[in-house]
Amino acid sequence: MKKHIALLALLAVTMGARAQQKSAADSLMNAMNANEKPVPVTIFKSSRLVLAQTTETVKKNELNFQIIHRFGDIAGSNGGGQTAFGIDRVNDVFFGFEYGVSDNFNIDLGRSTIGQLVQLEAKWAVMHQTSDNASPFAVTLVGEAGAKPYQTATFPTFSSRLSYLGQVIIARKFSSDISLQVSPTYVRDNTPFPLLPGNEQSFFAMQASARIKLTNHSGLIFDYAHPFSNFRKNTDTFEDPIGFGYEVETGGHVFTVNITNTNSVSEMNMLSNSQQRFSKGQYRIGFTISRMFDFNPKVKKEKY
Amino acid sequence: MKHISIILLAWLSIMNQTGQGLYACKNAQISLFSSAPIEDIAAKTSSGTSVYNSATGDLIFSVAINTFKFPKALMQEHFNSDYLESDKYPRATFKGKIQEHPDLTNDGNYPITVTGELDVHNVKQTRTIPATLTVAGGIITMKAEFTVKCVDHHIDIPRLVFHNIAESIKINVTATYTAAK
Repeated sequence: MKKHIALLALLAVTMGARAQQKSAADSLMNAMNANEKPVPVTIFKSSRLVLAQTTETVKKNELNFQIIHRFGDIAGSNGGGQTAFGIDRVNDVFFGFEYGVSDNFNIDLGRSTIGQLVQLEAKWAVMHQTSDNASPFAVTLVGEAGAKPYQTATFPTFSSRLSYLGQVIIARKFSSDISLQVSPTYVRDNTPFPLLPGNEQSFFAMQASARIKLTNHSGLIFDYAHPFSNFRKNTDTFEDPIGFGYEVETGGHVFTVNITNTNSVSEMNMLSNSQQRFSKGQYRIGFTISRMFDFNPKVKKEKY
Repeated sequence: MKHISIILLAWLSIMNQTGQGLYACKNAQISLFSSAPIEDIAAKTSSGTSVYNSATGDLIFSVAINTFKFPKALMQEHFNSDYLESDKYPRATFKGKIQEHPDLTNDGNYPITVTGELDVHNVKQTRTIPATLTVAGGIITMKAEFTVKCVDHHIDIPRLVFHNIAESIKINVTATYTAAK
């Protein structure tokens, strides 16, 4: 009898050991996966919201082509049914090309209807938000130079036709649903824009933006900008640009439909000269279409 | 008493066996491929981890979704944020048992079947996957090819991009094991 009990006990211990063995496999697995590498967090779906650029850059060897429209006033004296609520009038069209020199450095070229402004931009993602929060937010630097080549009457010399913009974009994805961003900005217009007595050549501005995720493929976006300019503060025709929109992403495209008061797309124009008012019906439909082209070498099927 | 010592010896030898039966792989190669009308989708990782317990037949695989590398950065971003939601569900795992008992002391190719739970996108599916286990000079290699249907793991494909994305994805796994100490 004693022997039998001992045998049973041993059997039980053996079974127990075997059961433990399974968790040994599990714990070995856990130990192997313990130190996961942090990855950069993608904060926004696109390099541009309604008004502001985002911290996101176009990746290496990719080209982002953007067409951005601002239509005419929806309401007020220039809006209404006569102009199909502004659709008949195109106030600004912006063509943008953003090319990824590297994953973190872009060279961008843009052209606006307003002022026939041609702009060259360098964008550098200095710091990414990381999944382990070691870096809690992303920082991207933007430098722009713009020229209004055709406005020879207002701007007699070439250098008087130039504008510059410098920006630090700081953004954080607070949860999978909410991303917030602020961009302190410096604007310099060699000839004050608009050319009015007392207008400053240069001023600081602050932009604040948000994205709220609706589904995995769409979200709501908000933008606000405020130029710290005494001239603009004291001239009551100037208004702070506000924009809100709906963004949907379909594979290589991102579409945005938005409403803004400002006419201008380019930040140099938008921050310098926004004189449209919501209260006067001077708000408009705008849209952004962006398409990503990939110039990375094709990958052969056999590799996968 | 004699009997007990014999049993004890036998038991010890069993314990010894089970103790040696753990094999680990830290760089399992996992690739996914699917052919869709507009463009093929392909990605690869060599950061999969796996543990094989030859004594019990237990086999575990795990891979961090964000280690899959796509040739197109945008595809990789969409794969993570839109489809697999890797911020919420960072890993895909498989926990199963090898049905056969291949003789690991003899070199050769052993066709095996593994039954277990495949957890992708936080949705578990019981799967039986055929694989090959190769023993060559004490090194164990496992290879498997199987298909994962997006719908089985609640991976939603919106209608707008439907033609761009395949509904089932072919997965290839290769893992080479070394004895775990």
